[in-house]
Amino acid sequence: MSTSGLLHLPAPLTRICTVPRGLWLREKLPLLSPGAAVTAVPTAGKREWPPLPPLDENELREQFVKGHGPGGQATNKTSNCVVLKHVPSGIVVKCHQTRSVDQNRKLARRILQEKVDVFYHGENSLVYREKQEAERRKQERKRRAKETLEKKKLLKALWESSKAP
Amino acid sequence: MGALRKALSWEVKLWGRVLRPLLSCQGRTGGTRGRTCSSRQPHPALAGLLSATGQVSHWTEVFEKRGIPEARESSEYIVAHVLGAKTFQSLKPVLWTQPLTPWQLQRIQELCSHRLQRMPVQYILGEWDFQGLNLKMAPPVFIPRPETEELVEWVLEEVAQRPCAAGAQGGPLILEVGCGSGAIALSLLSQLLESRVIAVDREEAAICLTHENAQRLQLQDRIWIVPLDVTLEGSWTHLLPWGPVDLVVSNPPYVFHQDMEQLAPEILSYEDAAALDGGKEGMDLITHILSLAPRLLKDSGSIFLEVDPRHPELVSSWLQSRPGLSLSLVAVRRDFCGRPRFLHIRRSGP
Repeated sequence: MSTSGLLHLPAPLTRICTVPRGLWLREKLPLLSPGAAVTAVPTAGKREWPPLPPLDENELREQFVKGHGPGGQATNKTSNCVVLKHVPSGIVVKCHQTRSVDQNRKLARRILQEKVDVFYHGENSLVYREKQEAERRKQERKRRAKETLEKKKLLKALWESSKAP
Repeated sequence: MGALRKALSWEVKLWGRVLRPLLSCQGRTGGTRGRTCSSRQPHPALAGLLSATGQVSHWTEVFEKRGIPEARESSEYIVAHVLGAKTFQSLKPVLWTQPLTPWQLQRIQELCSHRLQRMPVQYILGEWDFQGLNLKMAPPVFIPRPETEELVEWVLEEVAQRPCAAGAQGGPLILEVGCGSGAIALSLLSQLLESRVIAVDREEAAICLTHENAQRLQLQDRIWIVPLDVTLEGSWTHLLPWGPVDLVVSNPPYVFHQDMEQLAPEILSYEDAAALDGGKEGMDLITHILSLAPRLLKDSGSIFLEVDPRHPELVSSWLQSRPGLSLSLVAVRRDFCGRPRFLHIRRSGP
């Protein structure tokens, strides 16, 4: 017995806009119960790059599973997976990270925004550039750690030699 | 039902056969007598079955065979819950393929047997999320529906646009009729930091559950939870001591009585029918609330209701036939499925 159908919604989400990276997370998270599995989406630090290019809602097709009938009190559905497609590029994102349709819709847009950015801008996309930056910082830390180690060795050698009778 | 019981016991027997050798190995200190399962590699097919993904596939198939709706979603939520996560997709991918412990397998089987009895997932897990808050769920208290999150969003938007002439204690002061698990009241409190809520319900179980959830979320200081049946003559006068309220919010029982018997077994067998049945045209509680509201609301105070898609017109005509109430329907809002679902009614004048 299949009670689910797919609703194609042009979805004019007037309340949902593409906000700068990480900002939207803080609106809704304050009271998650301890131990809740939270998606590891990096929050905004000092933003060096221009923000992600926004998505045009008119270019999106959204689906989420919804039963037939009046809905509301008359149904009890837990399926809130959101499937979001960016029509020009053909990229599809499926999100079932949270138990809220609303949150999943926002998350799906976030993920799609990043994927579309990578699709069109490749190495110049925000995701790539941040990866490069993180890699650069890591290499820098390694270099400094190595330097410090060398200095310590030198110091030790000097101390040893000063002890010699 | 007899066939179901017979089929159910087959499932239980199968898991008994799988679990017994695993469970009996727990206490052993690497003995040589009998069958030591710890030293033997499980059969590859069994190993897959004993992983999170394997369990989801297995129980999805079981549920589908028994005609349980949302077969995949139900097994995903149950397995994720046993592994400590809210959704399957949010689990660390490495956990999807690791073998589960005998305790975990047993727990999954227990919870899935409830699902085979058509218990709603929210009652099986004993908790569910609403507007980012995690709430305890317990039958027969009504399970918050996803649409109702939009009702809360609308109230928040309106409050942001019209800051109330707050008294010394800040505001707004909100009355919720039919608080159930406390979902609406507590999500408003958690996002309107100066607000206070009077939450009423005629069912003792709902009063208790709202209390428990308020304490879980440390919001008990700004909520008064009052056992009250607003349909009883004069009961509303018990609310006068709090003074006139800025807002009345409700998701009252609004199912048309004739539609009740068509509701899914999940709803009919486990949720309180009184939280659903709105009478002949689903209007009984709605009209009660609208009749009382003028006596409890401040001038130009607002009422926000969730209703059946057929109600906007019915409510509009009903209000027009009762001009003495000084209430007017100012806006109708659709839910995320495009159905007219929410009403904003405003009180105008004394």
